[in-house]
Amino acid sequence: MNIDLAALNAGALWPEYIVTITLVVVLLVDLISGRKASWSLPYLTLLGLGIATATLLPMWILENPVSFLGSFTADPLSVVFRAFILISAALTVLMSVRYINQSSLATAEFYVLLLGATLGAMLLSGSSEMAMIFVALELLSITSYLLSGYAKLDKRSNEASLKYLLIGAASSGIFLYGMSLLYGFSGGQTQLTEIAPRIVDLGFPALLSLVLVVAGICFKLSAVPFHQWTPDVYEGSPTPVVAFLSVGSKAAGFALAIRFMTSAYPGFSEQWQTLFVLLAILSMVLGNVVAIAQTSMKRMLAYSSIAQAGYVMIGLAIGTQEGYSSMILYIGTYLFMNLGAFMAVVLFSLRTGTDEITAYSGLYQKDPFLTLVLSLCLLSLAGIPPLAGFFGKLYLFWAAVQSQAYTLVFFGLVTSVASIYYYVRVVKLMLVKEPSPQVLGYSEAGDQDGIQTLKAGMLITTVATVVLGILFPPLISLADTSLRATPSLQQVRTATPVSRVSTGAEAPADHGR
Amino acid sequence: MTFSEGVQLVSFIILTAIVLGGAAGVVLLRSMVHSAFLLGLVFIGAAGLYVLLNADFVAAAQILIYVGAVNVLILFAIMLVNKRIPTDRPVFSPRNAVTGLVCAGLFALLAVCIFQVPWQIQEPVAMNTVIEIGKRFFSEFLLPFEVASVLLLLAMVGAIILAQREYIPDRAEGEPEPLALPERPRDEVDTTPTGRR
Repeated sequence: MNIDLAALNAGALWPEYIVTITLVVVLLVDLISGRKASWSLPYLTLLGLGIATATLLPMWILENPVSFLGSFTADPLSVVFRAFILISAALTVLMSVRYINQSSLATAEFYVLLLGATLGAMLLSGSSEMAMIFVALELLSITSYLLSGYAKLDKRSNEASLKYLLIGAASSGIFLYGMSLLYGFSGGQTQLTEIAPRIVDLGFPALLSLVLVVAGICFKLSAVPFHQWTPDVYEGSPTPVVAFLSVGSKAAGFALAIRFMTSAYPGFSEQWQTLFVLLAILSMVLGNVVAIAQTSMKRMLAYSSIAQAGYVMIGLAIGTQEGYSSMILYIGTYLFMNLGAFMAVVLFSLRTGTDEITAYSGLYQKDPFLTLVLSLCLLSLAGIPPLAGFFGKLYLFWAAVQSQAYTLVFFGLVTSVASIYYYVRVVKLMLVKEPSPQVLGYSEAGDQDGIQTLKAGMLITTVATVVLGILFPPLISLADTSLRATPSLQQVRTATPVSRVSTGAEAPADHGR
Repeated sequence: MTFSEGVQLVSFIILTAIVLGGAAGVVLLRSMVHSAFLLGLVFIGAAGLYVLLNADFVAAAQILIYVGAVNVLILFAIMLVNKRIPTDRPVFSPRNAVTGLVCAGLFALLAVCIFQVPWQIQEPVAMNTVIEIGKRFFSEFLLPFEVASVLLLLAMVGAIILAQREYIPDRAEGEPEPLALPERPRDEVDTTPTGRR
């Protein structure tokens, strides 16, 4: 068997190669120079992620996206999600520097594992073949388990890691069962697009595999009823890791969900859309209702992230062009507002050693910058008008109305109103109430290296949260273009005529901030 | 029925009996060590089934990895923990009944599914499976094969980080706990410092 090297089209994976190279370089630099160079490792990681993003952008629309004989599809959909993952990894690095130093955790290995998780998530968002999907999923999962148990002398972190590992392994098993059924039904095919025509007429057995696959994916999305691990893992893991799990890993999960459903189950779109309607409603209701009762900020953000995943699933459940494009946009805005909120939580817990919500009261008097960042991000998560989160939600609900999914819009609106309560409660505490004892003892005196990068990250996310709201129309056309140029989504295209917008000028605008 | 078909049928029955009996024993036996040894038997039985399906390489890998590594690791873990499990619990508790019901339901679903699908039956072809697998690894499964090496590297790094003994310097009063989350535990009632050594 002769293999033409050009047929591999291996150039489509340059961003992944660069992430891998950075991973090895970080490991080697730490091995050779030890403690002397450990200050440089986060910046090395940032540099690698930056170069990877820079190589990703020209791949916006490739002539031939199929790479490695069909294992990987570097279509615009995957490019968008890989960019999201790279940005969220970079922001996670910004917030980890001080956190790692202060808790005296091993420096190099943290960034190595984070880069591994990034690599897994990026590969997952482009995989179009089942063996590749599984390896990428395991790469992401195993590094996530290790990262969540990284504070290894803390019992909460041990518990988080163990819970995540056990439930994750079980869900991987379920997912694998679904995929092995697909392999058998299709007579030994592993390419998703090859499977689709072979299972169309199967009926019940194909639905069984669909349910198993959806259950496996929904664990990654932490959609209700596969969410039980989320609050405990979020509470016990180091906060930067939680931030990455809630954004990067979720984005990869959504990319996988879109690709798996539209490539392997186009013949069962009604059934999987019904499934996702149910999951979306359950996630929105349970996430928002339980978040109200939380007293710990990290747990509250955990439930809020479950609810936010529910909103994103609206786009998946309606399954139209507008649905997918609103999903992408919402994940893009969610990335910045959620990471901004987590950065504020990191800064506060580093200075006060607590993440109780009541401890935030009166923070405005001591640290207006932190208060401003946290308030803007929480208000954006709640969907208050001039901010990015509002436009994201608006577009999602508009897309749902377009396809007459009124039930989803109803639940979305009602739960959004409920969510305003618990987000605004924190804002009100910080602005109006008397300072708590923790805030009274709050000082910036202990600040050392790494606080500046954290503040820079907070500034970036806040500016993005505000500015993305203004820039929404060009972003919509950007998302639309990326979907139009994605072959696997062609069958879901609505009646609107295809017009390929030139994107050369717009592409950097998305990722530049 | 030719002689070879007869042999295959008999060995299939024996192997299935080993797998099913072993699996039932893993679940039902009270002693964890017995369960672990029976699990090894189940793995070996499954390897035998792979041989019947002409998948000799997979069978060898199954014995090497599952019996040789995974199962031995499980035995190590059990012996290190050495935890007594109360043996007086009845097998037929309500909890086990619910579990049994769920499993039976899943079995029924899968059985219905297996009999509904028009499976594509492949004629057995004589080939060297190792060479064939190698060819696949370096053609259509090249990318997953390479990514698996990154996965193994990271798993190794992570395992070392978890197992490594930490040197913890004496810390002054009020300094943050090393290798722990900066957030204090919620219930301060628990006065033992979280996760010391």
